[in-house]
Amino acid sequence: MATVELKGVSKRFGAVEVIHSVDLSIREGEFLVLVGPSGCGKSTLLRMISGLETISSGDLFIGGKRVNDVPARDRGISMVFQSYALYPHMTSAQNMSFALKLAGKSPDEQAERIKPAAGVLGLGDYLDRFPRELSGGQRQRVAMGRAIVREPEVFLFDEPLSNLDAKLRVRMRAELKELHQKLKTTTVYVTHDQIEAMTLADRIVVLRDGVIEQVGAPLELYDNPANRFVGSFLGSPAMNFFELSIPDGTPDRARFADGDSLQLPRELGGRSSVTVGVRPESLELVSEAGDGTISAEVAVIEPTGSETELFLRKGKDQIIASFRDRIDVRPGEIVHLEANPAKYHLFDTTTELAI
Amino acid sequence: MIEHSRTGPVLRHAVLIGFALIVLFPFVWIVMASFKTQIALLMGQWRFAPTLFSYDSVINGKTSDFVTNFKNSSIIAIASTTIVLSVATLAAFSLYRLQWADWVLRVLLAWSVIFHMVPPITLAGAWYTMFRSVGLDNTYAGIILAHTTINLPMALWMMGVFIRDVPKELVEAAQIDGARTPKVLRYVVIPIVRPGLAATGILCFIFSWNEFPVALTLSQRATATVPLGIGKYAQENTIAYTEMAAASTLSIIPAFILLIVAQRFIVRGLTSGAVK
Repeated sequence: MATVELKGVSKRFGAVEVIHSVDLSIREGEFLVLVGPSGCGKSTLLRMISGLETISSGDLFIGGKRVNDVPARDRGISMVFQSYALYPHMTSAQNMSFALKLAGKSPDEQAERIKPAAGVLGLGDYLDRFPRELSGGQRQRVAMGRAIVREPEVFLFDEPLSNLDAKLRVRMRAELKELHQKLKTTTVYVTHDQIEAMTLADRIVVLRDGVIEQVGAPLELYDNPANRFVGSFLGSPAMNFFELSIPDGTPDRARFADGDSLQLPRELGGRSSVTVGVRPESLELVSEAGDGTISAEVAVIEPTGSETELFLRKGKDQIIASFRDRIDVRPGEIVHLEANPAKYHLFDTTTELAI
Repeated sequence: MIEHSRTGPVLRHAVLIGFALIVLFPFVWIVMASFKTQIALLMGQWRFAPTLFSYDSVINGKTSDFVTNFKNSSIIAIASTTIVLSVATLAAFSLYRLQWADWVLRVLLAWSVIFHMVPPITLAGAWYTMFRSVGLDNTYAGIILAHTTINLPMALWMMGVFIRDVPKELVEAAQIDGARTPKVLRYVVIPIVRPGLAATGILCFIFSWNEFPVALTLSQRATATVPLGIGKYAQENTIAYTEMAAASTLSIIPAFILLIVAQRFIVRGLTSGAVK
């Protein structure tokens, strides 16, 4: 176990800077998830920590030691790749013990060391099989086994579950979490899947265009997004945003173009506009239009069994609302929605920062 | 419908068999000629009493150098193929996996193609002069060097294709597992490209084995290769057709054995399961 610290870390490919002076401090034993849309630089950042990518400027410390110029093999890290990257000509056991073989350990010691990892991952019966003879989930486990056997200071995961089907992904996610609870090794995990981020992380780092947008515990980010991007990225279905005007003389009310208006949780003096974010599950259906309700036309109804999601149109805005109860509405119907003002997320319309 | 579905395969097979005959005929003719007497051959007999006279003359004849030619060719082909494979594999790995600037890759590959397009005979004269001045004429080393030079561009291109097929992540995984470049090559890359090595190696071996003009320029009697030995049966006054045919038939054997042995290495799908 070790801490990982990034100080002003940047990455340039030629003239293009893809990571802009990132500062991040990862605690010992922490499960940290880097999340963001594709192309945000999360994989590049992980590869810089691993040593597979050089650092253009800034400093990287692992366990308090500056490792900018230390090759990947000496950084005390293990990495699990999205494609598994298992050696096709080696059996599961040989894959897992390859690092030990390179380190000059005897065959007996190699066998001894892979035993506990194989046990934890339930690979006992598959040790003599080649990767091509394993299912996706088994390959994924062998890849994790290979990472565990090295007893690294830090685990690095690069979208390890994205090649698995939905069902298996959920199961492997739980296994990963359990594994971390057992081993308590510092872990940096990259994903574009916000559900994976929410469920696995001790802390989440949201990245956009090579810049950290926000760092914090999953629910902290969910409940208090620092800006509109974080609000929209975490949560599924995504947060609704309304760009509203604040009429003169009523600093605690915000108005839609069609005249509907919302009671704001507090007065916003000196502003003429605000972006209000409302999570789909914060919206409730009410039978009649009234003060603070939002009227919209039902476009599509999606029952998922446990929930019902409504896609609604209000002028040029689209609204998504989700309900635990089964509801009886039809496309084309006008319905009225309401939310507790305490659940509104307020953002500056221009800077998109939370206010 | 039925008519159509029958004539289709029949026609296809007829074409294929016809094509096979065209390809095989000269080969069969040569093998048959090697078992004939010169008279039977010149009279164009299809029915004849097979004789091993030509083989005996080629292998044991007092004036025949064929056994020496065979030994020379074996040494030269094996040595040049080994050198070509080693250099091409290292070069291809370096070019495609060690982050060279793009232009380095392009210039080297383009240059090697241009070099490959130059007929070897145009270089033979220059090589002869150079090798003579450093004492490499009429030596194995000279011909091995020349064959290495001729075969390297093609081997570099072929090995490049195979090495590019090795997923980058495998190399990276090995680096993280603690391997430096030589061990990455030894334990990960080379075992995976083994079918490619076999295919490239067979081609290089056969090219070297068959190469005529450069070997003719650079060798004398002691270092002459099999094609020169075969060529010698066509003399000023007579052409010893049947001996020539026997020597030709014998010369096919090594390539034939190589193909059979290497066939089990040339298996597709070795890398399946490495990455999804």
